[in-house]
Amino acid sequence: MSDTPLYEIKNLRYSYGGSFSLDIPSFIIRKGASIGLMGPNGGGKSTFLRILSFLESPDNGEIFFEGKKIEKTSADLKRHVTILLQEPYLLKRSVFDNVSYGLKIRGQTSGIKNKVHEALNWVGLNPDQFSHRRWYELSGGEAQRVALASRLVLRPRVLILDEPTASVDKESAILISDAIDIIRKEHDTSLVIASHDLIWLNSVTNEIEKMYDGKIVRFAKGNLISGIWHPEQNGLWKKTLPDGQQLIYSVKPPHEKATAVLDPSEILISLMAPQGMSAQNILKGVVTGMTIENNTGKVLVDMSISGMNLMSRITKKAAEDLRLIPGKEVWAVFKASSLHWH
Amino acid sequence: MDYILEGFLEAFQLLISGHPETYTAIFTTLKASSLSIIMSLVMGVPLGFMLGNFDFAGKKQVRAVVDTLLALPTVVVGLFVYALISRRGPFGNFELLFTIPGISIAQTCLVIPIVISLTATAIEGLDRRLRLTLMALGAQGRQIAITSLLEARYAVLIAAITAYGRAVSEVGISMMIGGNIKWHTRTITTAIALETGKGEFAMGIALGLVLLFLAFVVNSLLSILRRRS
Repeated sequence: MSDTPLYEIKNLRYSYGGSFSLDIPSFIIRKGASIGLMGPNGGGKSTFLRILSFLESPDNGEIFFEGKKIEKTSADLKRHVTILLQEPYLLKRSVFDNVSYGLKIRGQTSGIKNKVHEALNWVGLNPDQFSHRRWYELSGGEAQRVALASRLVLRPRVLILDEPTASVDKESAILISDAIDIIRKEHDTSLVIASHDLIWLNSVTNEIEKMYDGKIVRFAKGNLISGIWHPEQNGLWKKTLPDGQQLIYSVKPPHEKATAVLDPSEILISLMAPQGMSAQNILKGVVTGMTIENNTGKVLVDMSISGMNLMSRITKKAAEDLRLIPGKEVWAVFKASSLHWH
Repeated sequence: MDYILEGFLEAFQLLISGHPETYTAIFTTLKASSLSIIMSLVMGVPLGFMLGNFDFAGKKQVRAVVDTLLALPTVVVGLFVYALISRRGPFGNFELLFTIPGISIAQTCLVIPIVISLTATAIEGLDRRLRLTLMALGAQGRQIAITSLLEARYAVLIAAITAYGRAVSEVGISMMIGGNIKWHTRTITTAIALETGKGEFAMGIALGLVLLFLAFVVNSLLSILRRRS
């Protein structure tokens, strides 16, 4: 990785419709990075991706791309970045014309047929079968892959994907992952991907950032727990879950609906309700998913606790010892002091 | 009733035998309306794109004026264009009165609001994701405009065909600006009016059939394009 960041963002602010605002004081993306963005709907992921892909300009702040400040006139620089939107749009043309569009407007017409066919192969579409198909002759997953191929064919320095697997079948999701792998390996393309599918996201990215309420949260894979918080005795604060279980926190919240951040490493998993522990949070739930964290080699365990999703980070050995599988009943254990106000 | 039946029989004879006067009126109509459609598309499509694509102060008012002009009476257009291109008018030197280009200019004034309005509606109706997608693929300025028009191509064609239907069937302009000069500016509609006045139904019916056929072709194209768009 080079020392000059791919992106450097300073004091970025963006308001939308009066109520929503994006606020990112500082953020750096290194060359060759593969970053996942997760977080709830309305948290600002899509807006942040559109700003990173230069489709929208921030109200305030500066964006540097490969060390150069992005201005309105930086058209050539902007062409190194492309985004696949959450709901991709195909031009009312053949598959070939869709995939070749970006090359044609750049004047890169030499060897265009080979390039288009190669991109179609990357996304698992046979060029002989699909090149001449019209835009309305494709399934949802095929249309998504054609849209992806029309970005990959440009061999961008940065590929930004907004929920690329949200509305596709399992096979298409795998083919999209494979295509992303190819473009990264062969062209050193950097990636920024937003997705709700943490398991898939974890398999295609090296690091994951969490966005919430227009901000990038400190703990990349942190759990976010929103109030209402009620005061308890002994200066503690509690949140009651729908099934009556309670979360206890030891620091006064800024307001009753405040959001607390809980580092997944702070959560232990037990197969039985632990006895005699000092931890005040012992919550019963069910394992809903498990995935390997690329950069740590640890296992991320998703749990559903009375409708609330919590993620725990444990070692592979612990996962093996506990024989965790999705659907298994477990207890999530953490201290009242483990939470931090967002 | 016999004279109507005879009129139809004679009309078919005129069409089959290639009666020169009848065919001259047909070709004059096609020439004048084709020229007016070309002019109205060249000017109207870019104006319609701008009206549909950009937000500017007074846009609603401009739209209201264009939509009002859709109902422009042909004789009013004829009157204004006559005043402008007659010898005494500011464009009198061009000697356009009683010529096919003169008819075409007036017909352009008549149908350009149709092209502008329908093109603007087509552009406004484009998927909101199109612009972002084109920008994401690296398109800029004129490339975005041209691709957007191509995406709305069926709707723009519908605008052109609707306008053509209006131009080919109008009578007021052709009469006032063309002057209904035999072998020269006599169109299908002015010939029908004249021949009917003379009690000569055969040529009127023959031309009427051609006009109906043109209307049928235009409407068939419209329905095909509406399905595709």
